[in-house]
Parts: sequence; C-alpha cells; structure tokens
Amino acid sequence: MSKSEKKIVLKSLDNEAFEVEKAVALQSQTIWVMCEDKCVGNEIPLENVTGQILAKVIDYCKKHAVVDGDGDESSEELKNWDTEFTKNMDQSTLFNMILAANYLNIKSLLNLTCQAVADKTKTIDEFHTFLNIENNFTPEEEAQICQENLWAFDD
Amino acid sequence: MSSKVTSTDKEQSPESPPSRITSLPDDIIVDIIARVPRGNFPKICLVSKSFRSIIASSGLYKRRSLLGFTEQYCLYAVLYNYDTDEYRSYILRRTVYNSNRLVIIRSFPSMPCSASYLTVGSKIYVVDSSSFLSIDCRTHMVQPITQIPKPMSDKVSGIDGNIYLIGNRLVSRNMWKWNRVVMVLKTQTMIMPDLELYTICSDAVVMEDKIYMRDSENSFVYRPKEIKWERGDMLNSRDWNHWCAVGEWERDDMLNSRDWNHACAVGDLLCYYDVSEKMLRAYDTKERCWRVVNGLEKSLPRPSTLWCNMVSYDGKLAMFFHKYIYNKVRDDLISIWCAEIALERRQGGEIWGTVLWYDAVIEGSFAMVKCLAVPVG
Repeated sequence: MSKSEKKIVLKSLDNEAFEVEKAVALQSQTIWVMCEDKCVGNEIPLENVTGQILAKVIDYCKKHAVVDGDGDESSEELKNWDTEFTKNMDQSTLFNMILAANYLNIKSLLNLTCQAVADKTKTIDEFHTFLNIENNFTPEEEAQICQENLWAFDD
Repeated sequence: MSSKVTSTDKEQSPESPPSRITSLPDDIIVDIIARVPRGNFPKICLVSKSFRSIIASSGLYKRRSLLGFTEQYCLYAVLYNYDTDEYRSYILRRTVYNSNRLVIIRSFPSMPCSASYLTVGSKIYVVDSSSFLSIDCRTHMVQPITQIPKPMSDKVSGIDGNIYLIGNRLVSRNMWKWNRVVMVLKTQTMIMPDLELYTICSDAVVMEDKIYMRDSENSFVYRPKEIKWERGDMLNSRDWNHWCAVGEWERDDMLNSRDWNHACAVGDLLCYYDVSEKMLRAYDTKERCWRVVNGLEKSLPRPSTLWCNMVSYDGKLAMFFHKYIYNKVRDDLISIWCAEIALERRQGGEIWGTVLWYDAVIEGSFAMVKCLAVPVG
C-alpha cells in the first residue's frame, strides 16, 4: 500500500480540508461506508460538519485510533483524556459535536458527548438553552406538572 | 439603501459556527435524558412537552438499562392521618445527606380506607370495594380502571404480571361462605380458585410462582397452575367473565408455627418483624424452617412499635416502624422510622442482616397502612 492510500482528505462544510490517516477516519461508520462504496475519491466531503468541529472530531479520533503499535494507551488514560476533552467545551460546541458524532456515526464520541451534556445540564433553563428546546407548556399546564411533582422539589 | 450584507462563506462569526440543524434528533434527546440522574426526572418533566412524553415512555427506561444503569426503586407509603381522617400517599425522598423523608404526594387522591395495593411493573394498583385505580409511578398519572368488577378484597398479589385478588367475597347467599377471589388483570377477568376459605385472609406474599398466605388459623401455599373458563351461576356475574384458577393448595404447618404478618419476600425468604420479641425472622422456603436474622440487635433502634411494615426490593428490605414522641399535650404523636437492610445468607443457612441506613422519616399522628417499592427504571 502506498503512502497516499493510507491517507484520506476530509472536507468540511466550510471547505476546510483535513488530511488524516485512514485508520483515524474510519472510526466514523459514515466515512467507512463511503470508502467501502468507493463512491468517493480520496477526498470526502462532509456537508454537515464545520471545520471547527471537524478539527475536534479528528483530535478525538486520533486519540482513539488503534494505529500499528500505537494503540497501547491505557483505558484509564483515555478516560482522563476524554474527560478533559469535553470539560471546557462550551454549549454550542458540545451541541455541534453531538450532531457531528451522530452524522459521522462515531458511537463512542456520541456516548461521550451525550454524557457530557447530561452531566453539565442541571436546571430546566440549562436544558432549554443547551439543547435548544422551547418550553411549550401553557402556564396552566406548567402549574399542573409542578403540582404533580411538588414532592420532588426542595422545600 | 439596504445595509444587508451579501451572504458569503465568511459571513459566520467564530462563536456561532454555521449549523443547519438547530435541534437534536429525538433518539439523541432520549439518550441524553437516559444519562441524567433518575431523581431529576420529575423536575425535568418541565422542560418541554416532548421531554415529558419521553420520561413517560418505556423506550427511555430500555435505554437506561442498555446503558447499564441499575433499576431504581421508589418507596411509597400510605399513611392514615388521625388529624385529617385521610389516607394519603407519600414517597420516600432520598437526599444526599441521608436524611431521607416521607413527602406527601398531593396530586394523588385520598385512598379508600380498606384498599388493597399492589405493584406490577412501574404501576401501583389500588383496589377497594368501589374503585380500582392505577398509578403510573414514572409519571404519577392516576387513572381509574372502570371495566374491572368490584370485589371485596383485602390482599392482592402479583405473579407474572397477573393480579390475584385474594379477597373475601360472598359466593353463596345461603351459606355466607368466604371465598378467595383471584383476578387476572391482563385479561380483566375474575378467577375463583378451587379452595374455599372460611375466614379472612390476613396476609399474602408472592414468592417465585407461589402465593404464601394465611388466615386467622392456618398458613397456606398456593401455586396457580392453569386458568379455566367457568360459566357457573354461583358468581352471579353481570358484566364480567369469570374464570377458575386450578392450582395446588398446601397447608404449611411449619410456616404456620409463627404468627407472621406484614411479611415480605427477599429471594426465597419470607421475612417479618416479630414485634413481641423485637427481632426480624425469616422463613426459609427451601429448607422449610424459620430463622432469626442475625446482626441487627445493635445496629437497629428498638421500635416501640406494635406494627412493622416491610417491603423488599433489589435483594434488600425496607422496614417501617414507629416510636412515640413525648408531648405534654398530645399522646398520639409518633415518628415513623425507616431502615434499609441488606440480607446475606452464610454457610449453614444462617442469615445476617446489615443496616444500610435508618432515619426518622416523618412525624405526626399517623398509622402506617401500606408500604410499596416500585421499580421506576
């Protein structure tokens, strides 16, 4: 296998190109299928992911790739790295990372980012802003649910 | 002249990256909620309508179990309040600092005074002579069930998702015989087992595929085997079908040698608190012998109690008992205590208990009617 065949170019929505090892990129089931189908050349356009997010996804995949003789990272170390990775991500980055992990079909990254959101989101308002969800209850409905769940709230 | 900037690739500012999608797919929302601590579910119901329906859906709990979260149990209690003359439902709210409290659930109606309670899955069924309610403990939705006949009942048990009402029902006007009425909720039919009881069933515990029950004189083991359609006029049924449960009845004299009551099943042990001797006893259904649960004498506060309700979940049991509160004006105030106990079987069949925590969970003029443990996912 020539050197060029081991590399692959990922192109983001905003036309940023990233050259990565195939082993790194193939953690994405979506990219894997694209490569299997041979429907793309060496350059894969990813229409749903921006360069900023793609760069982070690639960071993650590089860390988690089992490259020849390079996959001896202990699981403890990986776990710590994962924690650091999502620790300081702002809301919008995390949101877009979830979308990217989902679109690229990278199970472990999706798990990691969903867990990060679940950990960081505590209040109802945080859920609204974090997940971009609108409160669509009428004040009466809201009062009703509050009443039903009164026991769960602090005195 | 318009000041609008023509759209270019470079339009987006760095802090708001271009994203065509503004909301997450439903299955991802489910995945996120599944990872939120279970205790926060009642609060986050308020996020949106879709959140609320996800929290009520079975898919969320399947996802939680796939993610390896252990099933959480909620403890409920029905207390009679002497001051208000009401039977109200309470839930044990667990707190980080272990000052667990029973908190009233105001959205639940007052319960009927002679109701029977049963949990099947995440639901509690409440049956009395005039009503039949189902309460979904995941959502706290209360629904009346209207198509069920209205038996006089005093005990309900569940096997395989069926509800057996082991109640007292007049079957013959001439003889005033008491009979056990057993009902299968799935098919919404009534079942008459093939044994008649002349007295009132005073306790019943379901273990594996059997019902252990007692009346005022004897203890029985009943194993329902098959359910047969029976069209007899004995039941004088009007709008409901009735069935006959064919099963094996067996008197168990060893089980009957103790005056067990308010019992619960932990694995193959039938446990009850012997209030006169102040010890937890367990009937080993495999060995057919009674044993004392060791190791609790020092770790458990001595109840000043004539009753002790117990419920088991997840291999543990929760024991509710009370202590009197000294008060110059009133002598009817009590504090209800709850202790969570893990049981362990040691070599030679000895049973040892460990008290995981105990707390005074509520104070007032109460009588405890029922406690229930409900798996809520």
